[in-house]
Amino acid sequence: MRNWFIYGLASLSCIILLFLSLPLFRMIFGSDIKTLWDTLWQEDVLASIYLTMKVSFFAVCFVVLTGLPLAFLIARHNFFGKSFVEALIDIPTMIPHTAAGIALLLVFGRGVVADFFESFGIRFMDAEPGIMVAMMFLSSTYLINGAKEGFNKVDVKLEKVARTLGANPLQVFLRISIPNARKDIINGALMMWGRGLGEFGAVVIFVYHPMVAPVLIYDRFTSYGLKHSAPVAAIMIIISIFVFLSVRFVNNRLK
Amino acid sequence: MSFLKIENLSYAMGDFKLDNVNFSVHEGEYFVLLGQSGSGKTMLLESIAGFHDVEGKINFGNLDISKLAPEKRDVGFVYQDFALFPNLNVRDNITFSSRYKQIGDERETLDDLSEFLGLTALLDRRITNLSGGERQRVAIARALFSKPKILLLDEPLSAIDPTFRNSIMKFLKQMHRKYNLTTIHVTHNFREASYLADRIAIVMNGQIKQVGNTDEVLNHPVNIEVAEFLGFKNIFPTSLLGEENNKQFSVDPNAIYLSKDKLTCDYMFEGKLEECMGIVDHYKVYVRVGKYQFFAKVFQREYQGCYADRGEGIYVGFNKKDVSYL
Repeated sequence: MRNWFIYGLASLSCIILLFLSLPLFRMIFGSDIKTLWDTLWQEDVLASIYLTMKVSFFAVCFVVLTGLPLAFLIARHNFFGKSFVEALIDIPTMIPHTAAGIALLLVFGRGVVADFFESFGIRFMDAEPGIMVAMMFLSSTYLINGAKEGFNKVDVKLEKVARTLGANPLQVFLRISIPNARKDIINGALMMWGRGLGEFGAVVIFVYHPMVAPVLIYDRFTSYGLKHSAPVAAIMIIISIFVFLSVRFVNNRLK
Repeated sequence: MSFLKIENLSYAMGDFKLDNVNFSVHEGEYFVLLGQSGSGKTMLLESIAGFHDVEGKINFGNLDISKLAPEKRDVGFVYQDFALFPNLNVRDNITFSSRYKQIGDERETLDDLSEFLGLTALLDRRITNLSGGERQRVAIARALFSKPKILLLDEPLSAIDPTFRNSIMKFLKQMHRKYNLTTIHVTHNFREASYLADRIAIVMNGQIKQVGNTDEVLNHPVNIEVAEFLGFKNIFPTSLLGEENNKQFSVDPNAIYLSKDKLTCDYMFEGKLEECMGIVDHYKVYVRVGKYQFFAKVFQREYQGCYADRGEGIYVGFNKKDVSYL
């Protein structure tokens, strides 16, 4: 009786796994190695992949610095408007990315905020900070919620005992809270970084140039067709999978 | 002078409140806070450690520490589940405080504690690979390593396999003798309290009901509430003894004599047997005397056939020396 149930579950699971993997395999193995290799060394491809990785990484770093404290506050304290703050963190995952791009354009593209940063020489429209802002807006949710889950799993008593042993709240946060929540934090960061790599809708509205990889793929597809865009997409997928699996592997090895 | 003095300490969390708590602990004393689950013992211990923003005073000598942060109070804390840091091995758990406090003779302190607590071979182990008893010893070593002025133990034996409790109680006593460290130990277990404590405070519903020497508290409860909590049975009005002082008294079930024939005790009553329950090595016998029910324990080796069938008459007796006035 147990067998037919397991086989039933496995059969249905295979359908969704096939659906998820087929486009990826088709993309990776659809192009021959030589085409992929040649494409990789094209200047604009290399530049866009590097830019995407770099900006996405900076976006993650920025959210680690600002989002971890927020996640810790939410996990440890009750305060007025906590539900509202939690909703605010989740909202970006629910709105269309193009709409997010327009919203960012209105705030960081023109007006008081844009002028304020402009006075420090920071421009968002058609510049790297703009890409970073778009990535952060749409993917910080993953890191903040991941860290929140992680902090919730850390027993508050560990932090209390650490205080009696002489550590102040910041030292406890750095030496006990973060290290013991690190698996969820790293998973969240990975999700955010991966989501940032693929961000297109908001970026294309806000920062067409310099081109991140998804915009380059779109640009090549509309200008030159599938033949020229597919290898770029394949390279992007291979690199993403490689980095993603590597970090996951290292994270799972952490005790 | 008291080493630690708690004055009018109050703290509310939700519906529960620590209510105007007062007691003091002497230097080098093993002090037990005894109370049922949910009575506020742990909250009181955490308040002393500085985890709650309390009203009232907590004096260490002449210094009021009630507003100090936990890291400035010099207390060692051992939780019921030990709260070891999973990201650190045994050695790093024990020496955690050395990064933040001046310990002095760190190496010597670690060696001494490891040897006394039998942790020398475990120092490089991850804490996930330790047994309950080993975890407890690491938690105690970690607290002692920080050289606190006072050690706070929150139900340290409740997560330990019952088979090892006696040896760990013995160990706690040895530890206290060796380091002569003022200790406050929270428990709901009378045996622990009776064996370890120099003095005991009874905590009930967020209040201290009685404080005193172990013998005094465990044998002479100040009121019925405390007596019932301490497991006193046979609590009756003194009018039953022919006295007119509106007090209550209690008699130990082991000091009650039963017989079908008249007894030669200081006090004797005729009643009816209600229940006789065999429990391993003794019988629990319930006898109705008017509106009161007496409860007596009779060892099986002293048992000579049933004293009476249920509902039959039986004599209950006890002596003056076994009467405790409440």
